Amino acid sequence: MYLRNNRIGILDLASGEVSEQDLPDDTDLERLSSVRIADGLAREHGGDSLVLGTGILTASFVPAACAGIVRSARGVMPVLGFAGVELKLSGFDFVVLKGEAAKPGYVWIRDGVMELVEAEAMKSLDSWGRIDRIRANQGDNKIQVLAGGPWCDAKSPATQIVTDYWGGEDKSGIGAELGRMNLLGIAFRGMGELELQEPEGHFEESILLMREQVARLGANEGLASYSSSARREDFKALVHRHVACYGCPFPCRSFLKIHEPAQEFRLVAKEPGYLHYDIPALEKALELGLDARAATDVFIKCARAGVEPVAALARASETSQKVTSESVAAVVSGVRDIRTSATRGNFEASFPDRSTYIECLGLGLCPRYWSKAGFDKDVVARLANSALGIGT
Amino acid sequence: MRLRIDPLKCICCGLCEAACSLHRDAVLTPMSSSIILHLDDKADYFGLVLKTKSEGLVLARPEGVSPGQQSSGTGGPGAKPILLREACDMCGGKANCAKVCPTRCITVVD
Repeated sequence: MYLRNNRIGILDLASGEVSEQDLPDDTDLERLSSVRIADGLAREHGGDSLVLGTGILTASFVPAACAGIVRSARGVMPVLGFAGVELKLSGFDFVVLKGEAAKPGYVWIRDGVMELVEAEAMKSLDSWGRIDRIRANQGDNKIQVLAGGPWCDAKSPATQIVTDYWGGEDKSGIGAELGRMNLLGIAFRGMGELELQEPEGHFEESILLMREQVARLGANEGLASYSSSARREDFKALVHRHVACYGCPFPCRSFLKIHEPAQEFRLVAKEPGYLHYDIPALEKALELGLDARAATDVFIKCARAGVEPVAALARASETSQKVTSESVAAVVSGVRDIRTSATRGNFEASFPDRSTYIECLGLGLCPRYWSKAGFDKDVVARLANSALGIGT
Repeated sequence: MRLRIDPLKCICCGLCEAACSLHRDAVLTPMSSSIILHLDDKADYFGLVLKTKSEGLVLARPEGVSPGQQSSGTGGPGAKPILLREACDMCGGKANCAKVCPTRCITVVD
């Protein structure tokens, strides 16, 4: 099948044994949903398994075709940025992780190979340290890492997995599943290749659609194009650049610099700030009186610790009269059994109903972009036809 | 006819790299493109590296465009170094990277 590796990798963390199974061929877009297939794999391999997957259109030229997923018993989180595409190019369409590793380690996936790497010394590091260490040890700074932090190790319900340093995808505490499995992270790098059924036709059709959508959406202002919270002057004053996920022509990610001037374009500070795309967290921080600089500082601390920021902010507001960067830091510094208070996910809130969200995500498309651009199933089916030879 | 890159217009979407690989090998792969993303994500530092026939490597970094050598880590050790790849042939005049670029970061000039 086009845009597929037709391979599912299964890793038993207890034994380290890797097995594979074929991805059943199908021509129905609904049945090809990554969420639906992941649900099926979880039924087959155990409900407590962690399933990573990519949509049938992930890595295509359909606008914002960047999304993969992580499915656990706690819920489903999108895998965005370049991580979804890299996962698909790693040689697997789906990866099932089951059991519990005897020692702390990380899963390393590349070139159709998957293994558990023991890394006990890495447990003392926060999520950013783990990502840096994995990239350094494997010698490649383009490795994508879904990383946990100390809160994930402690299996707190208020965890978040960070994707390459940043948070906003995991609003259901899937980070705690990493802790339960004794995993510090999941790393992957993709250097494979994917075929399209009609390369030229798919490319041309996708560009036409993208141009029409971009013209209709107008000038992009990064996160401010998606959230009024990012339109405040103190937020805008710190914006360095807007950053897209793979294939997205209208990004929702704005990088704020707080440790050097926002307009510093040379590579000077190694850790100058944070990539904002977590709308519920930003809203919560501003609601509690933090400014954009303090919110950025708080999000960095939360990402490093692997704690979901809405939950940390809510706890800080319960324990101190005035929420400050320091009071949130006090919450983050100790692992507490608090629950996330975000009632709907960051990206899940893009659509009024969950079924459309899941439908869009399951195809490998970013729900936030497609909600903004207008999710039209017939249009997507047409592009799927040129990419896959199915869908119309 | 050549490509002009305005690096500060880049949003790091990666479509140019994908479009280039489609022209080269009729598949999507990060291994064959004549144009690649250079990215230091934690520092939010990103730009493009283009292999041209006439000027060699063109580094389109945020602080400016210049000729030069491939920065370390640009494609990762497992990736085929850009110096070993084919130089840009403008897709036979179609310049697919410029065509697909959503921000006009890459344009075709005479």
